Amino acid sequence: MGNMSTHSINNQNKLIQFLFGTWERTQLSISAGLLLLMVFSPLVIKSPYYIGVITLACLYAFIGISWNIISGFCGQLLIAHIIFIGLGGYTTIVLLNNYGISPWIGIPIGGFVSGIAGVVVALITVRYGLKLDYFALFTIALLVALRTLFLKWEFVGGAVGMYLRQETPSLNRMIFISKLPYLYIACSLLLFGIIIQYLTYKSKFGKYFIAIREDETAAAALGVNLTKYKTLAVMIGTALAGLGGGFYIIYVTYIDPTGIFNLGFNAEMVMASPIIGGLGSLVGPILGALVNKPIAEIIRANLAEARSGITMIVYGIFLISAVLFLPRGLAGLIQTLYYRWFHGITSTHQEGE
Amino acid sequence: MTSEIFFQTLINGLFTGGIYALVSIGLTLIYGVMVIVNFAHGEFLTIGIYTAFWSVTLLGIDPYMSIPIAIIIAGILGAVIQRGLVQQVLDSHPLHQIVLLVGVSLLLIGVIQFSFGAEPKAMHVPYETEVIQLFGLRMAIPRLIAFGASLFISIGLFIFLQYTKIGKAIRAVSQSRQAASLMGINVNLIYMLTFGIGAAITAVAGVLLSPNHRMIPTMGEAYSVIAFLVVVLGTMGNFVGAFIGGLIIGLVEAYAGFYLGGDVKIIASMLIFIVILLFKPSGLFGRKR
Repeated sequence: MGNMSTHSINNQNKLIQFLFGTWERTQLSISAGLLLLMVFSPLVIKSPYYIGVITLACLYAFIGISWNIISGFCGQLLIAHIIFIGLGGYTTIVLLNNYGISPWIGIPIGGFVSGIAGVVVALITVRYGLKLDYFALFTIALLVALRTLFLKWEFVGGAVGMYLRQETPSLNRMIFISKLPYLYIACSLLLFGIIIQYLTYKSKFGKYFIAIREDETAAAALGVNLTKYKTLAVMIGTALAGLGGGFYIIYVTYIDPTGIFNLGFNAEMVMASPIIGGLGSLVGPILGALVNKPIAEIIRANLAEARSGITMIVYGIFLISAVLFLPRGLAGLIQTLYYRWFHGITSTHQEGE
Repeated sequence: MTSEIFFQTLINGLFTGGIYALVSIGLTLIYGVMVIVNFAHGEFLTIGIYTAFWSVTLLGIDPYMSIPIAIIIAGILGAVIQRGLVQQVLDSHPLHQIVLLVGVSLLLIGVIQFSFGAEPKAMHVPYETEVIQLFGLRMAIPRLIAFGASLFISIGLFIFLQYTKIGKAIRAVSQSRQAASLMGINVNLIYMLTFGIGAAITAVAGVLLSPNHRMIPTMGEAYSVIAFLVVVLGTMGNFVGAFIGGLIIGLVEAYAGFYLGGDVKIIASMLIFIVILLFKPSGLFGRKR
């Protein structure tokens, strides 16, 4: 008997070691746990409205991951990241409405188009040495130019935007009566994002990204090809954003230039989750999205009807307080606790920031 | 294009450019001193234009009489935002600075929208459609006033920066924070003051724009982007550069608008912005770093 219990304690220790042995593994375990929670949430939550909120939280986490790779890992200030969500979304809906191509193919093509656009943007800006503030301003100028272009471009619906046609449910067109299939597609996207993010983080080029973020000149001096790896980071991130955008349009069934090429929406959809959760960490975008989306949605549902503007106030306060009080985000907070509990270290020096 | 239309477009462009110059001077001043891009800059213009609206609606005064009110509101708000928020991130990574100021921008838009509603408003003054004819060119009175006031304020601020003690202190801080501090200048006070001045003159630009102008809470974004463009064109941190850059962009928009139509002119400006960023990010007056 005694032997048996030591054995099971050993197994338990092994399990704990496996799940929480390092901070990286802990982040993966938390990510997996949160993802499972979302997958199984319909067992408890029956209201389609709340399932919808969880679906969007899942999507925001995925989009947060896409921005995290560019800005968090590689340190590139691609502020107007929503450009690539818009491009992916427009590609998907144009393919579906004008050519009858199923979203199952259209969404990956959207990701491909966004990835190509990202490569073009990265190559141009790196070629001319745009960095930091100047790069950020460049992306914002691009956003404004694209918005104006799409407003005038009748092929993609102009100022009116585009609606999903043929609302008859069909698997092929990714139109369902129940909210559940959307949730599972969003969860699969998020799983894909978590895997890509982890592989990037573990890979050699992921280390180069972080070297570029920490000190570009030093990285270049050590032989890191800046053009190549900055472009690669932007390509991975923008391609993921395109996928997210494609699914987003299918889910909300509508896109228009002022709605999507919009800096306020950019702050909500792209920036808020990784910033709140912890930019540059593995678990940050997911933690952040789970705080960001539900809170904002509750406020929107309960207060915004009385007065518009509340949502923007909330996002403004989110971003400001994250920078001032939690510069490493929720992940940074958990990391400190983690080192205290598991390793007895009270002051940490880590990779997250 | 006849010469008459050419000169009419020139006048229109200069008038628009005057407002752009004023907004951009505020941005470049803040950048020159603090090396921070104020992503919430356009919102101070929105504050100015709403101040004019409410002064006319509630107090029944002429919109131009609300300039002191706008200066006080935006100036104090700017100083408070600098001391309370921006000061904390001056030495942080640019990403943190940008995120903070994007947050401030959202917060300000949200508060304006919460207070006054999202629907467009317009304010009317009796003389809004009056026009002066000069050498066959038509000049709307409010736009003429706006241009004159922009010139006056820009020159006044230039003299202030060149010849007064505080102005010299501001320029000293923009040249070297450490050296200025060693000379006994209270650097943090200068930061606060500069942000306040930058915010206040931007709000004045909003007041000058107010007669017969449609206003919505999110209108600041367009002006932020134009100010970024102008400031990069005229070299970031360069006062005179921002003024000349503002006039240039005003003219470009006027002629592009004439040839390409109203909305497409924004694409022309953005293409200029992108080309400048790519080929000469140090701007017209910048030396190679």
